Amino acid sequence: MSHDYFIWMSYGAAAIAVAAELIALRLGRARALRRIEEEKDLEAQD
Amino acid sequence: MNLFFFSSPPTFFRLAGAMAPWFFVLAAVLAAAGLYVGFVVAPTDAVQGEVYRIIFIHVPAAWMSMFLYFVMACWGAASLTFNTRLSAMMARAIAPTGAMFTFLALWTGAFWGRPTWGTYWAWDARMTSELVLLFLYFGFIALANAFEDPRRGDRAAALLGIIGLVNLPIIYFSVHWWNTLHQGSSVSFKGTSMHVAMLWGMLLMALACWMYAIGASLVRVRSVILERESRTRWVRENGPRPSAAGAAAGVTKP
Repeated sequence: MSHDYFIWMSYGAAAIAVAAELIALRLGRARALRRIEEEKDLEAQD
Repeated sequence: MNLFFFSSPPTFFRLAGAMAPWFFVLAAVLAAAGLYVGFVVAPTDAVQGEVYRIIFIHVPAAWMSMFLYFVMACWGAASLTFNTRLSAMMARAIAPTGAMFTFLALWTGAFWGRPTWGTYWAWDARMTSELVLLFLYFGFIALANAFEDPRRGDRAAALLGIIGLVNLPIIYFSVHWWNTLHQGSSVSFKGTSMHVAMLWGMLLMALACWMYAIGASLVRVRSVILERESRTRWVRENGPRPSAAGAAAGVTKP
């Protein structure tokens, strides 16, 4: 098997892992902000 | 300046927000330089051919996996010792990035091992201890989130983190202590057996990974701070959509 395959699988996985983490960071931030909004709304209802 | 000044979550929240983009920019620049040196400047290896170029991601990922665990355990120890909220939040923020680098070290190691050793995996001391490190990260993350009271989760996870430190010297010295399939270190404080271009490519990529890890941890710790401090006044008043007063006070949009 060509060495290219092993190199691409390594760097490709690294790129995917970094991209996935960056997306997870954005989702985590959005979740935290949404929670604050929800708590604010609940307080406003009370 | 008082060292505990930045341990206040609101202060660190702003600082992290200001610093994180710069670390990502540095990471991108260093990664571009490292990949250029690694793929264009560095010569082909006489024995392994082109496949050795996996070294430019594998070694930095392996170094970061151990270094981040050490830093995470230190933050955990600081949270247990000083009972500071931010220390535990930092430990939580570092863990997923450390786990990601550990996974990458194992994955890229497997794809380097297949053409050079003839197998993706062997229950070799270095590989097995690195796998244990991945499980330690998973355990830390799971334990930190297993309790309804996050402070209890912080303490339990910090304890696991500190106990798991024993695995780091095992990983590092495994190639000396046991007869392993994994090769010994090519780089040490005494010198290196590598071509200078290979070494520079690897060091640049290691720096890039380092900058990325700091940037990612800072972004994550901001989310952790928001979640943990969601009932506090400073988050309420300057939360998702900051008021004009909050902006004037220097509180950035989270």
